[in-house]
Amino acid sequence: MKRIIYIMLLSLLTCSFTQAQSFKLPAYQKFTLKNGLTVYLMEQHEVPIISVSAILPAGAIYDGDKSGLASLTATALKHGTKNYNKEKLDNELDFLGASINSFASKESAGLSARMAAKDKDKVMLLLKEIMLEPVFDSTEFGKEKKRLLVSLEQQKESPRSVIGSYFDKFLYGEHVYGNIQQGKISTVTPLTPKDVQQFYADNYRPDGAAIAIAGDFNPAEMKTLVTNLFSGWKKGSKPQANPAAQPISKPSKQQVLLINKDDAKETTFYIGAPGISRNNPDFVAVDVINTLFGGRFTSMLNDELRVNTGLTYGANSRFSSFKNGGSFVISTFTAGKTTEPAIDKALEVLNKLHKDGIDEKSLTSARNYVKGQFPPRYETAGQLAGLMTQMFWYNFDESFINNFEKNVDGLTLDKAKEIIAKYFPKDKLQFVLVGKSADIKKIAEKYGPVTEVQIKEEVKKGF
Amino acid sequence: MKKLFAGALLLASMTMQAQMKADDVKTFTLKNGMKFLVIEDNSIPNANMYLFYKVGSRNEYQGITGLSHFFEHMMFNGAKKYGPKQFDQVMEFNGGANNAYTREDVTVYTNWFPSSATEVMFDLEGDRISSLSIDPKMVESERGVVISERSTGLENSPWNLLFQTAQGVAFLEHPYHWPVIGYEDDMKNWKQTDLERYFKTYYAPNNCVTVISGNVKFDDVKKLAEKYIEPIPSQPAPPPVNIVEPPQTGERRVLVQKDVATPYLGIGWHVPEAKHEDYYALSILSDLLSAGRSSRLYSSLVDKQQLATQVFASFGESFDPYLFTIAGVASKNVNELDLEKAIYAELEKIKKDGVNETELQKIKNIKLMDFYSQVETINGKSNNIGTYEVFFGDYRKMFDAPAAYNKVTAEDIRKVVTKYFTKANRTVGILKSNTEE
Repeated sequence: MKRIIYIMLLSLLTCSFTQAQSFKLPAYQKFTLKNGLTVYLMEQHEVPIISVSAILPAGAIYDGDKSGLASLTATALKHGTKNYNKEKLDNELDFLGASINSFASKESAGLSARMAAKDKDKVMLLLKEIMLEPVFDSTEFGKEKKRLLVSLEQQKESPRSVIGSYFDKFLYGEHVYGNIQQGKISTVTPLTPKDVQQFYADNYRPDGAAIAIAGDFNPAEMKTLVTNLFSGWKKGSKPQANPAAQPISKPSKQQVLLINKDDAKETTFYIGAPGISRNNPDFVAVDVINTLFGGRFTSMLNDELRVNTGLTYGANSRFSSFKNGGSFVISTFTAGKTTEPAIDKALEVLNKLHKDGIDEKSLTSARNYVKGQFPPRYETAGQLAGLMTQMFWYNFDESFINNFEKNVDGLTLDKAKEIIAKYFPKDKLQFVLVGKSADIKKIAEKYGPVTEVQIKEEVKKGF
Repeated sequence: MKKLFAGALLLASMTMQAQMKADDVKTFTLKNGMKFLVIEDNSIPNANMYLFYKVGSRNEYQGITGLSHFFEHMMFNGAKKYGPKQFDQVMEFNGGANNAYTREDVTVYTNWFPSSATEVMFDLEGDRISSLSIDPKMVESERGVVISERSTGLENSPWNLLFQTAQGVAFLEHPYHWPVIGYEDDMKNWKQTDLERYFKTYYAPNNCVTVISGNVKFDDVKKLAEKYIEPIPSQPAPPPVNIVEPPQTGERRVLVQKDVATPYLGIGWHVPEAKHEDYYALSILSDLLSAGRSSRLYSSLVDKQQLATQVFASFGESFDPYLFTIAGVASKNVNELDLEKAIYAELEKIKKDGVNETELQKIKNIKLMDFYSQVETINGKSNNIGTYEVFFGDYRKMFDAPAAYNKVTAEDIRKVVTKYFTKANRTVGILKSNTEE
């Protein structure tokens, strides 16, 4: 591979098409059921497929001290329903070549489904049972938990799999955005089917949730089908608290978290800082500048750390945004012995962004790039259904898509300077390094006070 | 009830035919031998260009292992008109992005761009195919990049180490013996002359198939190809790969040490190349064993017996006979040998009792849904149409695939399991913390 496919900036990459033609979001309809469930429908007839995306206020921010509970609850939805035990459910879905997945991320839980258009009545019914009538079978739960515990141990075999959790904990501290969504061995071990049931009862509710359906269907028929299936879903009995509304405290100093992995041959590292929330009015502008700084192959970071120096296979930067906050990271890896030049180079590139800024030609290039790479992100029914649930969750509409080109083109060099100064960190950087401590601890100390932990131990409550 | 589904699926399949069919792919071949496949699709204002070169680690020998993949990187490092860095800079300035991948058999270059930039893509590709410049300074920095790529693969996944070791034992003579990324010492020692020879031999227009899908017109594509690509001279056909792996006559076992939570297990059986008549039955078998939670291996080993936390079968297209692989991760406190035995027991069940019609129909339904995924995006169209053209000898085979799968009978499945899944034909790899016990 020439490169690892970058995890692009933010959960939504936003742009539009460069030249005369503009990329517009296809028509869709939106309505709300009496119980508060928001529904989006969009016809797409290129292949006889229907895709569904659902989003619910049931992510890891609601875990409390039971880290991993949101994620396990989402997984356990598929352990059987009122009318289908797990085996029957798996058989039925597989026989139709259909899929229903359930998962929890930091803020929300979600389901996605994909089915042949002719099977919509059957599969939508299964989806409804999974969402509304799960039984949380205790035998299945026990098996799932065992697998999860092994997988938590296995993640420690791969620096790339764990560094994000350490970074979020280090940056967000006690705020719920620091919650570790996959859970920890010590918190997952005591979880019971009762915990999952309670979490489900508290957080899986139509008010605050949305379901988006895109694909090959007749919208009037689909509206009836969805209304019939989901109208009986009861509203939550008490208002849901929003733990993410708490203020996020910003780091007061530059510091280093060193995660020792005795058999590491590489150092995998993040250099980060607070970022922006999804509703920030400069969201698009930040995206364009980040593209230039670390969001594409010719970005300043990749050019210096990979192309000019061969220190790594890839270096990038990204903003990750939630409703009430976000983070910025520079992310790369290098051989243990080149740890210091790689970190220094990354810092040098960040300083260069502040010192020298950017020129008109590179800004034009970044604008063209984000616009040109936009349409394939919203090409399939699955991508469009996902977009609609994001619109719901972050409270934006098609104008965001349809005006994107205009917004990108409106980013002037002066505005770019302001964006750099305002959103790209200069100081109080947070360093997270996974590597062999015996070889790199001295180097780590160069960048700030070092907290050292062992990869085989658990992520602590706070650092 | 279930029979009825089958009928409904045939209807669905016909609907699909109305939406995209083999005749929607238009082709032409330039005088220099480069074949083009073009799919007009204006669903989004974008297009892509996929170039399939018939060269991969299969064309290497010891001393230059990994060179095909390294060459893939060097194709981005400067040519006559567009010097070092300019290929990427010009492409991104015009709204395009790119990547590339190297396998045992092929090296594939992928460009994704707003269709208004189509001519720029031809200009860039024409420049590097006709006159790549291999700058010794770029060779040195890029060497560091691929060494980092190799290292980060090994650092982040035990599978890499396990599979490349097992593959080295399964193939003793054929070039599938070494990993695509290469041996570290070879990576440090590739010579300028090796790179120059590689370019001349394999990066000839007659050794490439190009697929373009998206918001383009066939006639425009043809004109651009004639302008930018046709002047590039063809070369003599590359030397054939003559080595045939001798039949394996006894089980081979290999152990690798890495600090892991529970053991990783990978088993490979020699199976034929893509053009062989058993391809479709083996491909169905692969899904039957591990596609979905109702699949035989998941349902039995992960769910019911809880011997593994994950298990999967893998079988794909290749030029020469390759491997059908079954791999799994042992559950906590499970001996990997018990997991291994349980895998064999599942295969024996098929040898003895065969598979039932409902199960077979399930896989055919899954295959049809996979087919839709393959043609749902312009990138899927290009990648899959090109893969069929290169591996199966004809892109039309992709459109025939649903019918070819439908023809496979339960008896065909039983036959391929009996034929290939023997003890003597397998190589077993185990990766675990303690290899001394």
